[in-house]
Amino acid sequence: MTVNLGLAQVSSDFLIATLMIYSLAVLAFAGDFAFGRPRRAAAGAAAAIANGKRAAELATVGAAGAVGTAGAAGPGAAGPGAADSGAASVDGASGGPSVPDAAATPGGGRAVALPARQVPALAAAWQAGPWVRIALTFSVVGILAHLVAVVTRGFAVHRAPWGNMYEFVTALTCVAAMFFLYVMIRYRAWALGVFVMGAVVAALGLAETVIYTAAGPLVPALQSYWLSIHVTAMTLATGIFFVAAVLGILYLVAERYRARVAAGKAQPGNGLLVRIPGSAQLDKLTYRTVIFGFPIWTFGVIAGAIWADQAWGRYWGWDPVETWAFITWVLYAAYLHARATAGWRGRAAHYINLLGFTSLTFNMIVVQVFITGMHSYAGVS
Amino acid sequence: MTDVHAPQSQSPSAETDGTDPFGINETEPAGTGGGVTAGPPASGVGWLRWLWRQLTSMRTALVLLFLLALGSVPGSVLPQQGSDPAAVQQYFTAHPALAPWLNHFGLFNVFAAPWFAAIYLLLFTSLVGCVVPRTFRLAGSARTPPPRAPRNLERLPHSGSYPSTLPPEAAVAVAASVLGGHRFRLRRPADSDSGHWVSAEKGYLREVGNLLFHLALLGVLVSIALGGLFGFKADKLLVEGTGFRDTRAAFDEFHPGRLVSGADLAPFSITLNSFSASYLESGQSRGQPAAFHARITYTATPGDAPHSFDLQVNHPLDVDSTKVYLIGHGYAPVFKVTTATGQVVYDQATPFIPANTGTFMSDGVVKVPDAAPAQLGFMGVFVPTAVRVGDTLESAFPAPDNPAVSLIGYAGDLGMNSGVPQSVYQLDTTAMRQLTAAPHALLPGQTWTLPGGNGKITFVGYKQWVSLAITYDPGQLPALICGMLALGGLLLSFLIRRRRVFVRAVPADSGLGSVVTIGGLARTDASGGFEDEFASLSAELAAADAAAVAPAQEPEPTNQSETGA
Repeated sequence: MTVNLGLAQVSSDFLIATLMIYSLAVLAFAGDFAFGRPRRAAAGAAAAIANGKRAAELATVGAAGAVGTAGAAGPGAAGPGAADSGAASVDGASGGPSVPDAAATPGGGRAVALPARQVPALAAAWQAGPWVRIALTFSVVGILAHLVAVVTRGFAVHRAPWGNMYEFVTALTCVAAMFFLYVMIRYRAWALGVFVMGAVVAALGLAETVIYTAAGPLVPALQSYWLSIHVTAMTLATGIFFVAAVLGILYLVAERYRARVAAGKAQPGNGLLVRIPGSAQLDKLTYRTVIFGFPIWTFGVIAGAIWADQAWGRYWGWDPVETWAFITWVLYAAYLHARATAGWRGRAAHYINLLGFTSLTFNMIVVQVFITGMHSYAGVS
Repeated sequence: MTDVHAPQSQSPSAETDGTDPFGINETEPAGTGGGVTAGPPASGVGWLRWLWRQLTSMRTALVLLFLLALGSVPGSVLPQQGSDPAAVQQYFTAHPALAPWLNHFGLFNVFAAPWFAAIYLLLFTSLVGCVVPRTFRLAGSARTPPPRAPRNLERLPHSGSYPSTLPPEAAVAVAASVLGGHRFRLRRPADSDSGHWVSAEKGYLREVGNLLFHLALLGVLVSIALGGLFGFKADKLLVEGTGFRDTRAAFDEFHPGRLVSGADLAPFSITLNSFSASYLESGQSRGQPAAFHARITYTATPGDAPHSFDLQVNHPLDVDSTKVYLIGHGYAPVFKVTTATGQVVYDQATPFIPANTGTFMSDGVVKVPDAAPAQLGFMGVFVPTAVRVGDTLESAFPAPDNPAVSLIGYAGDLGMNSGVPQSVYQLDTTAMRQLTAAPHALLPGQTWTLPGGNGKITFVGYKQWVSLAITYDPGQLPALICGMLALGGLLLSFLIRRRRVFVRAVPADSGLGSVVTIGGLARTDASGGFEDEFASLSAELAAADAAAVAPAQEPEPTNQSETGA
């Protein structure tokens, strides 16, 4: 089947557009970082962000001046929209009107204090200010353009568009951007946008300039529907681990800052660091990202084994790429275990997470391009 | 190797005082905590117990995981005997001082090395030592009801309260029926001394998934061993027009499992009718292969009707679980050697090995032991699309568009009778003399009359050959099943959270109705959704309580005894 050169051109153009739109999104995220509303007091930053959401939910409603039984954390720690969140919860959750007697008769300063459901994520995004709104809009538009670029490339070459290194990086950055958008909105982590989207722009820019490969058909070994299964899983997992790695680096930075503040070596409320989430929340986010990626990676390795059995007559042969996929898997497994082992959680676990991503990147760039094996398909010359 | 989260430790005091009924900090239980245990006791049994505890601790498992990752690295950096023996030979030639040392440590066969086996066997022992007790603990916890409700529910990570017009026991009963409707396991007080409360717990499948994952990994290891014992792998090079029967003697290479005998081979036979390869003719990737087709005829058992099959990469032939793969191809130039007296002493296709997969320049050797007056040997290069670059022939394209061979002739003793086994791809020229200084190029049909009355050699044409891998691996399906089970276990353990919800009701200060407090905690909330679940559950409890007031002012108390459903 011949390559559709027109569509391939469309794909390239959209990718350039994606790069520019993402850059604008990064600028907007940076703008939010620099000029946006401060989100929390600096003191006790880590604890505040960890408890912030809960404090907001537990904000008391009902009888005037009543103190919630569980509202131990002060409202001061709550983020913007704490009031809205509290208000929203009354209507939706407690069913106040149906128990008027109950509210009145027990009296004695007792009040209804039900935990509230969170503000819907998109509403929270709206409340986060114009910079975040602009950044999110650019991100979404950029991702759409990115998707168009990937899909048209697929149609241009009549196959899954991840058959060489250039296509792989293009697809995985698309996954990273989409997954991060989800994480950012789900966990309201706007402040991370500048870092993650910045990394996406850097990776995509490198792909566009250094390893660009023209659209073309595949060697027979790759002509299999397993390409779309195995490489899709690997692309997804790589994109997700990419986000986990950026979060992990931020954790180490935030944790170092927290430790310095605790030791009295740094001023609380200092500079940029106040604006990124506290280390406790970053720790959780990283973990959730990794456990999202780990089963996908596992599936990708299994699918790769099935394919290897079809193409080469063995399901596992310790080919260099297989070996490094295994090493990566073992390292992420070690991260998951380290997180539950005394003396290893925290910094040590995060270093393992970064080690896992290093091995993944090493596999993708060094092993596939420079070490001869059965997986030498990168098409980078 | 313990769980992603260490098994829960529930000291009786923690259970009742209510601050930390789950051991929220997820530290290792003291019993298995490696490194924190006291020094080894003096007795032999004590030593063994201490060693076993060390081995099965999470810390040891972590170290072993690192060693496993680290130990795999040389296997990808150095050439390996299993996948590329020729590269290992090259490494020995290139690094004569270093290579024997590396070999001494098994670094050219890492994944079969004893030290590598030691790492993963220790790791799996550690895993068994951790998983088996946990399985018993899980079975135990499936029979015991949730712990009693703590006194101070406000101190739990999630809590809330609502007023009720119902008396405390009725309010708790309503809450219990709501929680029971959500398939929580419930526990109610056996007597009324401890107040009115209900404990609810859910998410036992999380631990099941975690155990399943680890046991399935064990299954993968067993499956691999199964394949190593009962499987085999063989290679066969087949020139167009020839065939072979699946017997031990017919293979070029045969690697049987430890418990495989020649009689276990499936009795099929295969003939290669033709092979075709197509390549991209233009563009950036010119010369990149586009498709390979090996058209074969096979019979499953002797006497069966022959079947045709189009063998392709990614499209193996399956004969009774034995699979045949197309793994390589090349050219086999056909030579005819005639003595000065006109006797034909050699007339066959000779497989040449591609030296460059981009252009398919191929090297090979022709040995003519029956030639007279002296034995003849030729070192040759086959060039599929020949272009002359200066004095040498280069190949411009992998397809045979303009095939040519270039030969260097030798006469003398081939050394084939010395008893030392020889490779058919190598020529031992120690007892031979080179016939001409320069290589001699031939096009198809051309003949080179050799100097010194040694006869003549004709380049008749070429055929193509394929290399086939014939494998049988009974561990394959079990490995796949175990792999999928491991994945399923992983998903269960990541998606499901083990969580507890407690409800307590006390009489309101005014004497009418009661105040209900609810508390909840998730021991393992990997995906972080418990907050929302607890909020909606609280709302539902409050709503059910309010609704229960309306129809009957005095709802009959439901079953007050402990339920362990």
